[in-house]
Amino acid sequence: MKKLYQLKLIALAISTTFITACGDAETNIVEQDPIVVEDEHDHDDDDDHDHDDGYTISSLGRLAVLAGDSNEASFFDLDDNALLDTFVLNDESNTLSASPDFRYAVITNRTQDYLGFIDGGMWREDHGEHLHDYEQGPAFSSYELTSGSRPTHLMTHDGQLAIFYDGDADSGAPASVEVLTDSDITNATPTLPGISYDINMHGVAEPRGEHLLSTIRRDDADNTSVAKVLPDQVGVYHFHDGEYELEQTLEVTCPDLHGAAQNHDYVVFGCGDGVLIAHQQDDVYEAQKVANIEAVGTERIGTLYGHENSDTIFGVAAGHDGSGSVLLSIHPENAEMEEVEWQLADGASAVSYSFSASGEHFLVLDSLGFLNVLTGHDHDGEMHWELAGQVDITEQDVSTMPEGMSFSMTVAQNGEFAYVADPIAQHVVQVHLEDLEIESELELTFPPAGLTWLGIAEVEDEHDH
Amino acid sequence: MKPRSQLAVLIAALLPASVLASTIEGVVLNNQGKIVTNATIEVEGSDLKVTTDENGKFVIAELNNGLKELHVVAPGYAHLHRDITITNDENQSVTFNLKRSPIEVIDIEATPIHMSAMESASPVSVLSGEQLRRQQSATLGDSLEKLPGVNTNFHGKVASTPIIRGLSGPRVLITQNGLDVSDVSRVGPDHSVASEASTAQQIEVLRGPATLFYGSGAIGGVVNVVDSRVPTDSTTRGEWNVEHNSVDNQKVASFNATTGTDSVAFYADAFWREADDYEVPVAADIDSDGESHSGDYTVENSNEESDGFTVGASYLMDNGFIGLAVEQFNRQYGIPGHTHGEEEEEEHSDEEESVFADLEQTKVQLLGEYNLDNKWLNKVNLRVGHTDYEHAEIEGGAVGTTFKNETNELRIDLLHNQFSEWNGGISFHYKQSDVEAQGEEAFTPPSETESFAVALMEERHFGDFLVQVGGRIERVTIEAGDVLLPNIDAHAHDEAEEADEHDHEESAEITRVFDVEHEFTPISLSAGVVWDFTPNYNLGLSVSRSERAPSASELLSFGPHIGTGTYEVGALFDLDEDGHLGLSDQAIDLETANNIDLTLRKTQGDVGFILNAFYNQVDNYYYQIDTGLFAESGHDHGDEEEGVDEHDHSSELPVYLFKTDDVILHGFEAQIAWQLTDEFKVDLFSDYVRARLKNGGDLPRTPPLRFGSELSYQTDKLSAHIHVTRYQKQDRTAPQETATEGYTLVDVSISYDLSVLNQDMSVYLRGTNLTDTEARVHSSFVKDIAPRPGRSFALGIRGYF
Repeated sequence: MKKLYQLKLIALAISTTFITACGDAETNIVEQDPIVVEDEHDHDDDDDHDHDDGYTISSLGRLAVLAGDSNEASFFDLDDNALLDTFVLNDESNTLSASPDFRYAVITNRTQDYLGFIDGGMWREDHGEHLHDYEQGPAFSSYELTSGSRPTHLMTHDGQLAIFYDGDADSGAPASVEVLTDSDITNATPTLPGISYDINMHGVAEPRGEHLLSTIRRDDADNTSVAKVLPDQVGVYHFHDGEYELEQTLEVTCPDLHGAAQNHDYVVFGCGDGVLIAHQQDDVYEAQKVANIEAVGTERIGTLYGHENSDTIFGVAAGHDGSGSVLLSIHPENAEMEEVEWQLADGASAVSYSFSASGEHFLVLDSLGFLNVLTGHDHDGEMHWELAGQVDITEQDVSTMPEGMSFSMTVAQNGEFAYVADPIAQHVVQVHLEDLEIESELELTFPPAGLTWLGIAEVEDEHDH
Repeated sequence: MKPRSQLAVLIAALLPASVLASTIEGVVLNNQGKIVTNATIEVEGSDLKVTTDENGKFVIAELNNGLKELHVVAPGYAHLHRDITITNDENQSVTFNLKRSPIEVIDIEATPIHMSAMESASPVSVLSGEQLRRQQSATLGDSLEKLPGVNTNFHGKVASTPIIRGLSGPRVLITQNGLDVSDVSRVGPDHSVASEASTAQQIEVLRGPATLFYGSGAIGGVVNVVDSRVPTDSTTRGEWNVEHNSVDNQKVASFNATTGTDSVAFYADAFWREADDYEVPVAADIDSDGESHSGDYTVENSNEESDGFTVGASYLMDNGFIGLAVEQFNRQYGIPGHTHGEEEEEEHSDEEESVFADLEQTKVQLLGEYNLDNKWLNKVNLRVGHTDYEHAEIEGGAVGTTFKNETNELRIDLLHNQFSEWNGGISFHYKQSDVEAQGEEAFTPPSETESFAVALMEERHFGDFLVQVGGRIERVTIEAGDVLLPNIDAHAHDEAEEADEHDHEESAEITRVFDVEHEFTPISLSAGVVWDFTPNYNLGLSVSRSERAPSASELLSFGPHIGTGTYEVGALFDLDEDGHLGLSDQAIDLETANNIDLTLRKTQGDVGFILNAFYNQVDNYYYQIDTGLFAESGHDHGDEEEGVDEHDHSSELPVYLFKTDDVILHGFEAQIAWQLTDEFKVDLFSDYVRARLKNGGDLPRTPPLRFGSELSYQTDKLSAHIHVTRYQKQDRTAPQETATEGYTLVDVSISYDLSVLNQDMSVYLRGTNLTDTEARVHSSFVKDIAPRPGRSFALGIRGYF
């Protein structure tokens, strides 16, 4: 042992000698998105894929509500109607919509050339063998879009959002389109794919996977539109190598084009003289025009509503003030347009239209406080839409509606619910679309100017091809 | 050595015997004044090498002027160094007297500087020739365990890795011809080493820190398996062997052969081995209450089957060679004890539950050596390797876990001309490994480790002193993009129920994911001196400071490791105050070994000995501590997710966390050989290591004190050996570890050489564990369920051509 002790002394001497020659160690750790696993009870490989497979969350979702008297957006948990968080927005006069996969609230401010995003905190990831749901608190995303001029029409379809920037004739800013997905927001994609025009226009773009159908404004001499700021042509843009390239210009013109919608096979544009129907055949689109029917009268179809699973596309023909609007059903497959049997009552004007999540209902919210629920019925292979019922969503005197405000509506994507905001009563009601009943109320402390549902959309049965 | 010598004879014979300028000629004699044939005389720092003829004479021609250091080697004799100064046109005549060395002295090939058991400052051992053939076994650790300072971690005979001075795993590097063997044996005791002893030519062991030569993985030592897969000459020769072993019905066949033309050499080897479950003298499981079975005990699931072949070819030049070899190595073996902690309940279904490993490796090596006629450099060594390793652990016919290791390696040694009497060179070393594990036992996330190193090694004789110094700087990066930190709900067993209960309230388990990058710059410095303080004796002192970058598995692990029966958590993580595992706030640092080695040797005479004492203080030693918590093994689920809430405690594993602490290892190795007569020789050896934490406590699985003796009888035709080894009881144990009883093993072997059809052959009989004793290996992870094999007789025949 004595010997060892001496050895130790020598070792000590040596270690002090070498102390200056010390090596170096460095560690960098970057935390990634976590993986969330739910309790895994019976994780058999059975085929009865019930929705409670352990990774998914069962929740009604969340609601983002824009205040009408301040520049604030509030987020609510629909399971217990609790306020989760309130965010102060940069400017006033915002519009609120949902990101294509309903994770983010999209705040658009047309005059400020601004789009901002607030993470609703609920989303789903596909982990291959299972779907993974996440639930966090809402959070303002640092991602914003400010490079386009006058963001106006936002169109979502199948996980994509196309933002049409009208551009500004006064400042000479041209129109442009940007296409983004929820993951672009999550990852703060610096440059989004899109289209840059060399002229401004009040146009619209419909995203369809690798295709983007977007309007084209020709030289005023060629433009068949009466209002020259409106385009009269539709281009088919194809995404490859990171950019969209114009591959086809539809031969049929669409003067005074305004409004667009799509379903699984067709994209429909509203024109002064009817609707332009573009039918996708692989990479090529066939176009035809369906002329306005008599019921359109002196107006034109300027607003369209479509649903992936619905064969019917709804068109609204109205003057600029929205008065005397006519609801039309368009059947692109048969190239037909017909007047919907049900129309708004006299004195009522529509304040919001929407398909339900399943596409089985078409909702028209009117200024008198009625949610009109239409359902489609198949008659000899043709869809006819009839009123299934009306839900009176307010007990208030609608004449006391604050100046510049109106009822507003959003539909849940995970069930047959609509949420209607009432600025007079300062609450949101949850309407069950099958039962046509109000199921609950969410009290607000402010008059709501707009709202959107956020959360995890229900996976519909894969639409058969 | 022998074939090379023949070539040298040829070269020597071709040289004109007449007197040339700058020539050394001489004779080699032994102590009694008798001539020594077949002695090799090498000129240090060059490739000049000649062999004595039947008259013991040699000639070295074409020498430059200056001081020449000659190195004379002959089997059975001590090596001799002699400095000779050559001046213009001088013809020197010398006589070398070799002295007998009962301890075989063989130079190692693992290092660019000259090292052997008798002559270097740091301790080395070499197993070669007949001794290697006698001791080789199916696995590397078992093959080497009779060397002083080397133990096996005996994993039920199917896998074993050498333990050098108490260190193993990521601290002991296994190389094949100087290139990393590149398997996953460093991360699991049940993972076999992808190298075969039966076709090897020699196996070299560097005891103690060898980071200087091999970098981070060699802080505890190096085992280099040498074969001539890339042949350095084309003399036709070969060796074949068939053997049967009784304890496990093992059948082995192997051969290796070299041939070629003047400029091209070819090499081929192959082996095949098949073994059943091996028999043990007592019930395999130490806890079994000795129920009267039929009396035949076996270690279940210890069968093995392996085969492999290597082909190589090289181009021989006047000044060197370059060649390429490809090896395919396959091995299937049962993993004893690799059940799922469920054997208690399901004794009857053991058969279905048994796990076996299917290992496959393809190894490509390109080796070259070129002697330059250059002002500065005299030799370039090139080693390039690519290995593709995969092993699947299969249970019930389905692949449970797949381990992969793909490695590319490049090593260039540049040896300079003697420079003010210094010999040595600089070495560049690059290695890149992609390691991944997929499946249930994927306890380590996929990672890529890359290292680049520059090392300098020099030696010089100062009179009676040989000084060896070296330094190495390395840059190691470990990148892992997907390091998982699952919320595993690790719990102590007494509160398990409660913890589980809580868990159901929470809606989701969150697995945090990290992208981790480590960069280490380990530096190793080493200095040694050998002092021939009196004739026939020398004293060696070696001091080193070595740094090691921790391995990916020590840092990033998080998951069940069935081979060790633990839930492993890497040093990147730590327990917080609430007992939850989170990121560690401790900086990840290098492990540093300060080692001092003292060696006293008697190098020649009828008695020779080597006595080593070492003291190694390792700061920041990475090791596993038992957290006292348990986590689900997740083993019986068909997916990789952790954090599974099953209430069945039987599938839970104790959570072991990698921590760092200062550790002290010290011990000795002693080896004494006494040549009694020309025929009889006695060898005695002993070794011991004490591995303890600086602040108190012992490290687990430290081999016990061991001593042994071997009596050999050797004539021209007959050789016989009796080998007795005593393993003492080990009761210096780590927490949770049990003491292991001592035991004595008796082995005997006898072989007889005969010539059949003009071929040299030897027939041999070997008996192991003759007393059929129960021997449990303390350094084994499976000591309680897999003792050493019982009495066994092996009968074999070996041929040479």
